[in-house]
Amino acid sequence: MSDLGTPPVEEEVFSADEHVAAENLAAVSALRTEIDETDLIIETRGLNKRYGKLHAVKDLTLQVPKGAIYGFVGPNGAGKTSTMRMLTTLMRPTSGEAHINGFSVTKDPREVRRSIGYMPDFFGVYEDMKVWEYLDFFAACYEIPEGQRPGLIRDLLELVELSHRRDDMVDKLSRGMKQRLCLARTLAHDPAVLILDEPASGLDPRARVEIRELLIELAKMGKTIFFSSHILADVSEICTHIGILEAGEMVMQGPIKELRKQLSPHRTIVVTLLNRPDEAKQALNLIAGVQNIHDLEPEDGKPRLKIEFTGEDTGISEMLQALMTKGIPVVNFAEEASDLEDVFMKVTKGIVT
Amino acid sequence: MRRLPNPFRLIARNPVALKELRGRMRGPRAFIVLTGYLIVVAGFTVIIYLATTEASLSTTGEVDGGTVGRFLFNSVVAMELFLVTFITPAFTASAISGEHEHQTYDLLRTTLLPERSLVWGKLFSTLAYVMLLLLAAIPLQSIAFLFGGVDLPEIYIAFVTLFATTTLLGTLGVYFSATTRRTLKANIFTYVSTMGLVVITAMAVMVLVSIEVSRSFGGQNNITVAGEWVLLLLRGVFVCLNPLTTLLTSQDYLINQQSAFSFVYTFSDGSTVTLPSPWIVYSIAYMVLSALIFWRTVRVMSEIEE
Ligand SMILES: Nc1ncnc2c1ncn2[C@@H]1O[C@H](COP(=O)(O)OP(=O)(O)O)[C@@H](O)[C@H]1O
Ligand SMILES: [Mg+2]
Repeated sequence: MSDLGTPPVEEEVFSADEHVAAENLAAVSALRTEIDETDLIIETRGLNKRYGKLHAVKDLTLQVPKGAIYGFVGPNGAGKTSTMRMLTTLMRPTSGEAHINGFSVTKDPREVRRSIGYMPDFFGVYEDMKVWEYLDFFAACYEIPEGQRPGLIRDLLELVELSHRRDDMVDKLSRGMKQRLCLARTLAHDPAVLILDEPASGLDPRARVEIRELLIELAKMGKTIFFSSHILADVSEICTHIGILEAGEMVMQGPIKELRKQLSPHRTIVVTLLNRPDEAKQALNLIAGVQNIHDLEPEDGKPRLKIEFTGEDTGISEMLQALMTKGIPVVNFAEEASDLEDVFMKVTKGIVT
Repeated sequence: MRRLPNPFRLIARNPVALKELRGRMRGPRAFIVLTGYLIVVAGFTVIIYLATTEASLSTTGEVDGGTVGRFLFNSVVAMELFLVTFITPAFTASAISGEHEHQTYDLLRTTLLPERSLVWGKLFSTLAYVMLLLLAAIPLQSIAFLFGGVDLPEIYIAFVTLFATTTLLGTLGVYFSATTRRTLKANIFTYVSTMGLVVITAMAVMVLVSIEVSRSFGGQNNITVAGEWVLLLLRGVFVCLNPLTTLLTSQDYLINQQSAFSFVYTFSDGSTVTLPSPWIVYSIAYMVLSALIFWRTVRVMSEIEE
C-alpha cells in the first residue's frame, strides 16, 4: 500500500496484478493456525428467513470463531445479504437464533450493535459533509465522548489511508475511497466483529487489493471479519475460514485447510529421481498412509513417481527420509497443492463463479 | 424522553441535529432561502401597503393609520403562515425517507443512536431554521407599528401561533417520512392532511357561526345556558384547530376586550364566563398533538423489519 506522502490513489499508475503482499499472506497462515475453533463469536442455530413463499435462508448453522477471516461465499441470491441483515439486527429472523459476541440479535440488539461494525452491500454517504465530519458524526452516534473523537478520527483516517483527504467533501472521493471511509466508520466504536457485505464488489482491481490488505490488517489487530462475496478469488487467498451458501443452505463450512482435506482426501506428492525408480517404490510402499504409486512420464529421461497419500505432514517427511537412507538420488520432491477452485466446483456444481 | 430537553445542550449532544444544521447552513443555499423568503414577504408588504393606502384614500379621503397598520400586519402574518406551511413540510418530509433513498438508513440503524434522537434531531434542526425565518420577518411585521393600530402582544401572539403551526407540520412531515419511506409521498400526505385540517375546521366554524348568527338575530332565545355552552365549546374546538380563525379571533378579543390572554363570553341570560384566548388553546393543542405524533413516529421506527 502507498505511503501517506504519495499522491492520491487514482492518480497512481494502475497496477494490474491483484496480489496481496507476501508478508500479509504469511500473517493469514499464522492466523489459520492460531484460531481456537471452539471459541465462536458468531453463532446461529436453525436460522430461517422467509419472504412470503420464498425460503431465502434455510436452517442456517453458522460458526465463526473469534479472530477468523471468514469468507461467506455464494452466488447472487443465495441469501448472504439476508443472513447479514439478521445478524446486524436490521431484520427479524423468521425463526431460529443468532448470537454475536454472546448476545442474542433479537433479545439484546443494542449490545449486538455495540459489538459489530457493519458495511452493507449498497450504501450511501452524506455528500454534504467533510470526511472528518462524517467520521465525527458516526463516532457521536456510537456515543464516543467528544474529547476522544479528534484522536480517533486521526487514527481511523491513517488506517484507511485517507489522512490527506480529511477536509475534503465526501462526494469528491472515489468509489474505493468511499468504501474505505465507510470501513473506517464501522471501526469507530472498536467493535469485535466486522460484518461486511461484498466489500470488494464494484471496485477496480487495485482498490480490491487495498480492501483485502486492509482486512488482513484488521484481523491482525484481533478483529473477527465476516464478509461475503460471490467471487471465490476474493476469498480463497485471505480467508482462514469459508462457508459456502447455496440457495439459502450452508453447503459446507470450516477452516480452509480442513475443507481442502475433506474434499480431496488424497494428498499428492510428485517425486523426480535420477534413477532406481523400482527401489524407490519399494521403500515408499512401506510407509503408512501411502495408498498408491503411479509412474509418470519421465522428464528429460528422469523417472517420476506420483504418490497418493493420506495422513499428516510427518508421513511426508518419513517418505523423504526413507529415500535418503536408501541413497536414492532425489532431484525433486513436492506436494501438489489441491486447487481450491476445483474444490468449489465440486461442491457447488459450478454455480459459484 | 426521559427528561425535558434543553435545546441548546441537545444540539451539541444530538449528532443528527448538529449534522443537519451544519449541512443546512453550509454553502449558499441557506442564504438564498432566507433572502428569497424576506424578499417575498417584503415585496408582498409593499404591495399591501400601496393597495390599502390607496383604498383608504379613495374611500375616506385620508389615510386611516390604524386600519392600514393592522391590515399590513395581518397580511404579513398571513404571508408567513403560507410560507411556513410550505417550507416546513418541504424540509421534514425528507427527514427519514431521505435516509432510505440515499441508502444511509441502515448505517444509522446499526449505530447506538436511539430512534428518538434521530427523530428529534431531524425535527429540531428544521424548527430552529424556521424559527430563524420567523424571527427575521419580525422587523417587517413591526413596520405596522409606524401606522399604529398594532400592539406588542400581537407580535408574540403571531409568533407563538406560527411556531406551534410549524411544530405540528414538521412533526407530521417526519411522521409521514418515516411511515411512507418516500419523500414525494410524505410531502403529498403532509400537504393533504394539513389542507384537510384547515379546510374542514374552517367549514365547521362557518357552519357553527351561521347557526349562532341566525339564533341571536332570529330572536329565538329558547336556548338553555347548557345548550349555549355546547355550541360555544364546539365552536371553540374548531376555531382553535385552525390557524386563521385562531389568529383572527385572538386579534378581535385583543382589540375589543383589550386582553391578550383571555376573553369574556356573555350568555343570553346575562351571565359571563372568562375563557383563555384562542391562540393559547391553539398552541397548547398543536404542541400536544405534535408530541403524540412524535411518540408515534419513534414507535414506528423502532419496529424491526419482518
Ligand atoms: N426484502 C425482500 N423481500 C423479498 N425477497 C427478498 C428480499 N430480500 C431478498 N429477497 C430474496 O431472497 C433471496 C436471497 O437474497 P439475498 O439475501 O439478497 O442474497 P445474496 O445477498 O446472497 O445475493 C433472493 O432470491 C432475493 O430475491
Ligand atoms: Mg447480497
